[in-house]
Amino acid sequence: MNLQVIGCSHHLSSVATREQLAFTQQQIKPFLNNYYSKFPNSEVVLLSTCNRTEFYTAADKPNVVPRKSELIEFIAEQRGIAATEINSEIFIHQDRQAVKHLFSVASSLDSMVVGEAQILSQVKQAYQLAVETKQTTALIHRVFQSAIRVARRISNETEIHANRVSVPSVAIGVLAKQIFERLENKRILILGAGDMAEETLRYVVHEGGRDFTIINRSIENAKELAAKFNGRVGDWKELERELAIADLVISATGATKAVVGSDLFDLVEEKRKQKPIFILDLAVPRDFEQSISDRLNVYLYTLDDLQKECERNRQSRQSHYPRAQKIINHEADQFFDEIQRRSSGSTIAQLKRQTDNAKQLELDRLMNRLDCISEKQRSEIEQSFNRLVNKILHPPLKSLQTESPQVSGGLLEAMKKLFQLGD
Amino acid sequence: MDWLQNISITCFAASYAVVFVLEVSRVFFDVSFRKYVRVGFAAAGLFAHTVFLVLQGKLVLASTGLWLGSWLGWCLATAWILALAYIWISIRQPKSVIGLFLIPLLLGLIGLGVGFGHENQFNPMEAKSTWNMIHGSALLLGTAIVALGFVFGVVYVVQSRRLKHKSPQAKYFRLPSLEWLQKSSEYSLIISTVLLAIGLVSGIAINWTHQPDNTLSSGGTIAWSNPVIWSSGILFSWLLLVSVFSFFYQPSRQGRKIAYLVIASFLFLVLELAIVWGVGHATTNSEPGVAQLSQIQLGPEESLRVTEGPTI
Repeated sequence: MNLQVIGCSHHLSSVATREQLAFTQQQIKPFLNNYYSKFPNSEVVLLSTCNRTEFYTAADKPNVVPRKSELIEFIAEQRGIAATEINSEIFIHQDRQAVKHLFSVASSLDSMVVGEAQILSQVKQAYQLAVETKQTTALIHRVFQSAIRVARRISNETEIHANRVSVPSVAIGVLAKQIFERLENKRILILGAGDMAEETLRYVVHEGGRDFTIINRSIENAKELAAKFNGRVGDWKELERELAIADLVISATGATKAVVGSDLFDLVEEKRKQKPIFILDLAVPRDFEQSISDRLNVYLYTLDDLQKECERNRQSRQSHYPRAQKIINHEADQFFDEIQRRSSGSTIAQLKRQTDNAKQLELDRLMNRLDCISEKQRSEIEQSFNRLVNKILHPPLKSLQTESPQVSGGLLEAMKKLFQLGD
Repeated sequence: MDWLQNISITCFAASYAVVFVLEVSRVFFDVSFRKYVRVGFAAAGLFAHTVFLVLQGKLVLASTGLWLGSWLGWCLATAWILALAYIWISIRQPKSVIGLFLIPLLLGLIGLGVGFGHENQFNPMEAKSTWNMIHGSALLLGTAIVALGFVFGVVYVVQSRRLKHKSPQAKYFRLPSLEWLQKSSEYSLIISTVLLAIGLVSGIAINWTHQPDNTLSSGGTIAWSNPVIWSSGILFSWLLLVSVFSFFYQPSRQGRKIAYLVIASFLFLVLELAIVWGVGHATTNSEPGVAQLSQIQLGPEESLRVTEGPTI
């Protein structure tokens, strides 16, 4: 088999290296075209995500895929950096290990957040882009299609994707759903306009939230965030009124002390008429005084509370890791058996053709020398030659078929060399 | 279709018991096909329950002119409504284990009917009028809705308490959202108030028109000293007060308060039913020659039929 993967990921490489090797979607096609100019006899799939950049190369013939050093030189040249800068942080896996690695990546077992769902679509996208750029080999097709199938199998047979593990996803995708039936008709108040607020808002929109009011000390940042999510900008002076009508509050300001104290909430509570409110206090230090949590129909969750939930979910996902790994090992073995069968099938056919040709040549030569033989005798001689060839080939072919794939792989190579068969 | 005659209370009670066991198992582990088995058993139970009520009800109707015949029939009919509600909730809220709270109530009603219902037969002479039919049907539906409201209220309190204390959600112990539970509790309170109002008004009408010698006339008086009358009056007043209060005073229909109100309404109802049952309201001893639903044999192996008492 002629498959290898080289690249960098969060396991081995620094953020700096990952940043240097990261490709945007627009950069991938030009890179692939340049690759084919330099290595026309092999093929490549480039997978580039936040946490990894990997180059899967394959070829029909051996010794055609570029060596690690060649590829690093080429990549460094494409990215405009020195090969020595990245050399030590690049890994390589070949054949069986490369297949297992791809299966693990597609199934998100190799991800920073085990079980994250995005990676499979990124693998599909990388494969699709490679197919669009050049007609890929059967090997690339087989290995990527198998990887996608294995990822789906793991998703169906384990619960590795079952629980959410990021703070915003747990807050909105899990907790908010236990309080609200739907978010479409809820008033959502966002305090702060930083990354955490934006990330959480993204989940709110995904879950159907539409009615946002953003309040921030810096009105420009609030406007920017409001424009992104089609929300309104509120005035900090209207905080009491906004809190009184909100169903869900996401608070992630950079304030150094609580922005909503007990006194303010007393006024808010009076106006709310005990309407339930879900408050996500994602700020450190906290934006809401802890005592507010004790009020009737107030569900106040802090970053600590959410992180505990995330950690529990992370552990739950980890508990499914061994089962998923077992599936990957099993699938990788099956994949190789299949490759082996296909490969030995073509070698056997080649060997049979070669011996048939030799037999036919000798038979023709003999028949030319023997003038006066009957048809019956001619037939007897032909059958005798056939039996001889079959008896010679039978033991090695039987060994190839009955031995384990590992042993038969070695036999296959030996047979190719002994009988001088091509690939 | 003779086999339909063999359906007994044990058949559907067993089906519901299996559903309950399946609901309990949902708390501990997940199996993808279980929801089909669970809803399948509930549907099978409901089918058997329906057939039982229809066939046996027909016999009792032919014999006494009453549809349910006794408190047993009344309990079974209420349980039937709850079983229907269970299937509806299973479809609307497939992931929640609300059946864990609803099915015991349903089984409890069947058990109550089987255990004590046969002692109290409805009085055929009293129950045949239109007013009586309205009275019985409204109270039956009202009871079922109050019972449902009770389940929603209890689940609300459990879910709200869990969220308030930030207890982790057990892996498979999922409950509906607070919003859904609050809305369902609110609706059950309003609908049950309307139904119990109809029940009470029709009860007053019966009292107003029904003279002790079983003749109908106008200008009768209401026996306010009768425990059934005053307890019904208190229950209705409570529900009306709660509904009106909820309408005009927003906090009372928010969050846990509505849950506590529907739970309290259920407790009132239980008290009311205990009084009604205790004083033998609308019931009489079995009359000779009259078929009774309570006389149906309960064993699954036996053919279920209505037996007749000795004739004079």
